[in-house]
Amino acid sequence: MTRVGAAVAVLLVVLAALAAYPLVGTGYGVRAMLQLFMWIALAASWNLISGLTGYVSFGHVAFFGAGAYATGILVSTAGWPWPPAALAGGVAGAALAFLIGVPCLRLKGPYFAIAMLGLNEVLRALISYFEGLTGGGNGLSLPTLQATTPVYYAMGLTALLVVALTHAVITSRFGLRLMTIREDEVAAEAMGIDTFRHKLYAFLLSAVGPGIVGGLAARDQGYIEPMSVFPLATTITMIVMVLFGGKGTVWGPVLGAVVLFVFQEAVWARFIYLHQLLFGAIIVAVVLLMPRGVLGLLQMRYRLPRTI
Amino acid sequence: MAVALTPAMLGQVVVSGLLAGALYAMVALGLALIFGVMRVINIAHGPMLMLGAYTTWLLFDRFGMNPYLTLPVSAAAMFVLGALLQRTLVFRVVDAPELSSLLLTFGVSIALVNVAQLLFTSDLRSVEFLTGSIALGPIAISKSRAIACAFAAAITGLAFLFLQHTKLGKAIRATSQSREVALVCGIDVQRIHLIAFGLASALAACGGTLVAVMVAIQPEMGQIWTFKSFLVIVLGGAGNYPGALLGGLLLGLVEQLASLFLTTQLSEAVAYVLLVLALLVRPSGLLGGRQT
Amino acid sequence: MTPRALTALLIALILVTGSLPVAAQGPIRIGASLSLTGTYAQPGRYQHEGYQLCQKDLNAKGGVLNRPVEFVVYDDQSNPATGVRLYEKLITEDKVDGVMGPYSSAISEAVANVTEKYHKVNVSPLAATTSIFRKGRKYMFMVISPAEVYLEGLIDIAAKRGLKTVAIINEDTLFPKTSAQGTAELAKKAGLQVVFTEAYPKGNQDFSALLTKLKAANADVLAAATYFDDAVAIARQMKELSVNPKMFGVTVGGDIPKFQELLKATADYIYGSSQWEASLPYPGAREFHDAYVKQFSQEPSYHSAAGYAGCMLYAEGVKKAGSLDADKVREALLALKTRTMFGDYQVDKDGFQVAHKMVLLQWQDGKRVVVWPDDLANAKPRFPTPPWNAR
Repeated sequence: MTRVGAAVAVLLVVLAALAAYPLVGTGYGVRAMLQLFMWIALAASWNLISGLTGYVSFGHVAFFGAGAYATGILVSTAGWPWPPAALAGGVAGAALAFLIGVPCLRLKGPYFAIAMLGLNEVLRALISYFEGLTGGGNGLSLPTLQATTPVYYAMGLTALLVVALTHAVITSRFGLRLMTIREDEVAAEAMGIDTFRHKLYAFLLSAVGPGIVGGLAARDQGYIEPMSVFPLATTITMIVMVLFGGKGTVWGPVLGAVVLFVFQEAVWARFIYLHQLLFGAIIVAVVLLMPRGVLGLLQMRYRLPRTI
Repeated sequence: MAVALTPAMLGQVVVSGLLAGALYAMVALGLALIFGVMRVINIAHGPMLMLGAYTTWLLFDRFGMNPYLTLPVSAAAMFVLGALLQRTLVFRVVDAPELSSLLLTFGVSIALVNVAQLLFTSDLRSVEFLTGSIALGPIAISKSRAIACAFAAAITGLAFLFLQHTKLGKAIRATSQSREVALVCGIDVQRIHLIAFGLASALAACGGTLVAVMVAIQPEMGQIWTFKSFLVIVLGGAGNYPGALLGGLLLGLVEQLASLFLTTQLSEAVAYVLLVLALLVRPSGLLGGRQT
Repeated sequence: MTPRALTALLIALILVTGSLPVAAQGPIRIGASLSLTGTYAQPGRYQHEGYQLCQKDLNAKGGVLNRPVEFVVYDDQSNPATGVRLYEKLITEDKVDGVMGPYSSAISEAVANVTEKYHKVNVSPLAATTSIFRKGRKYMFMVISPAEVYLEGLIDIAAKRGLKTVAIINEDTLFPKTSAQGTAELAKKAGLQVVFTEAYPKGNQDFSALLTKLKAANADVLAAATYFDDAVAIARQMKELSVNPKMFGVTVGGDIPKFQELLKATADYIYGSSQWEASLPYPGAREFHDAYVKQFSQEPSYHSAAGYAGCMLYAEGVKKAGSLDADKVREALLALKTRTMFGDYQVDKDGFQVAHKMVLLQWQDGKRVVVWPDDLANAKPRFPTPPWNAR
């Protein structure tokens, strides 16, 4: 069996196990795995824009929140069933990305980061203001529905699709051009690449995933409010996951998400008063000691292909 | 519910805005120094302010010290802490892409907040020293805010004098303009980085001391200051020190006016919209370009 | 083996197994997530202390159903999503026997979906929002008075004293919004006119523009639906800007001892609502107060009292039902009518509290006194509130 063949076989086995898990897992276990899938989707999406083009989206959770609210409103006010509503959440994320991307992607490095930071806060304020639609500070309650297992599959599917999308992008010419932009934007322009268009497309693609999982998370929780769907900590966690696993790779975000999620679950219950400190220490360690992430290091050491 | 707007109300809000703005300017100047000299986006700036506030509270609570007299103490303490952070951690990301410095300083900031929670708990603290206001006609000027504004203006003024007229200050400005040329001129750039970070932290600490008399102190109080400092330096132009002053005053005014004409809920959103507009229209800031 | 040896062995075995103690049934484990860190850390901690004291007192009296009681508490970081996950963990992994509610209406609302799913009785001692209990849920039980009536005392006194106008401000989250709406309705019913309303974002610290507008509206009464930090900030800034309503009341915050510690003289004349005071004539209130002070070296707030009472009520329900079975406990709690150290308890078919009464406090000379309702008051309100510069 070839190396690729073996890898694919392993992947299929893992997927089969994950698909069968709800049959044996506890309620908490299924919920936890569902959240893990959510993080994988988020991290992989962030990787699509920031890992590939180098443009640090520091407010990516805005798309998550937008998706959550779009889905929430459609389900509770317009009575949509949740699967199409979640897809609509993805559309909402992309629409927002378009709205923000057109003006902001022309900005350089640190300015883009700061502008994105602000986006999150603006959205939160807007949601609070349009309370007739969104419930504002009251939060939005979705009609009670015990749907944990279907949401588990939906999240899993979304995560899988985002990772597949990443693979497709990285192995395509489009992806190559994005990485060219990352390495040297001026040279890319000189080569005739329409950098703005490419960045915008990547940005749109990176917003769909968070939008969908935001909607699914809203369905799962049954209740959303501005403070809990737009936290900066979510963006930071996404970023650290990608950084840890390896920015710009396909499986890096997945690895980072799994490791950090498991770590958080194991540690945070035990060290209530210390976990922020520990999280901060991890971030510092990752940034200083392994800025290329695990897969990045492996890629260099063992000459692994670019497309892992 | 709409209330009829009178000139007195407008005047009151403008005064409040300027008072707040002076404080923003001083704290943002610190952030501007770090960004200008090292091109580092320091998210741990807010926690420095918070620690400065706690220092003041400790001295006031345990020793009954006049909070304004604690200014040199908290400034010195945070100078040391800032220099330490720079020496051990920050210097490693000075040349790295901005993601590294953003994340590193974010990690430091949540660690600092956690440490404060462990040391002081999340219980609110306050320094009840100066309450009440002075009336200037129909406008009430909060005593603590007025004094904070006065000190902030004085400290910012001193900082500018330092930057303009002392050898060290000029070295800092030179490094902001071009590190390579500064090196060639014989400036010890590493030392400049250290001093700039320490100075910036001291400025934040002064902000913390002045704010401690005005608001309740708790470990997460610094976050909002980091955000606002960012707004200010973008408005004023990153790396542009006089711009930070203007940006601070502008932010203070805009916030208060937005609260008055719209609602308090929207005032923060307005500030950010202003930020994005500023970035789009004049990305180099109001005063344009890297002027030091 | 000889038949004799075999018989001896058999007899020995029977004796040994017969004398083995019946495996003691372990402690009754009650799970909860509380806001030990994050925005609600302070009241969350108080609630935790209430649970702790309840556990101690129950065990001192022999436990419940002859088993000791043990709390399993996690930190939800003041975040509804975390709370949801934790209750799933408590119920499906830790397999606790029963649960108690978390702090704040927002988290209680999110968590209710989980407890309903697994049919677990959920006594939520600090959930004050009516809507949580009006969604057809079967296992939720309310202990405190709802958000809408927090400032009933303020409005009542205002109406009796002939005041005409009221301004209402609130933090833009679930509980304060509900409280503000309820206050507005009470005001209208009492014949007062609402002349100004505005909401402010959570975490807001600068109220100058809001207060400037408020001052111009010149209302007789200012009703503020707040949590703690904002109540403190508003009081301070009102003094700075010389905003002088004849009555100023806050929802949460005015009753917490720290309010006066932080504000000192500025706190005087401010009205606060409280679900409970140690001075109230409820059976066991004094004892609870003394035990709390002894264990935690500070005065108890109503959050601790509510936590304690909620836990006691749940224990009472279990005792009356004679089992931990959720449906039986539910029946018992629905039928229960009693007065605890916290006040009266009786719920309607939705588990919504209908008997408990709130009181209105006022700070006078650095002390908290109960000024309303008349049958529970221990002092007269100092009315009207003098302007800041006349004190």
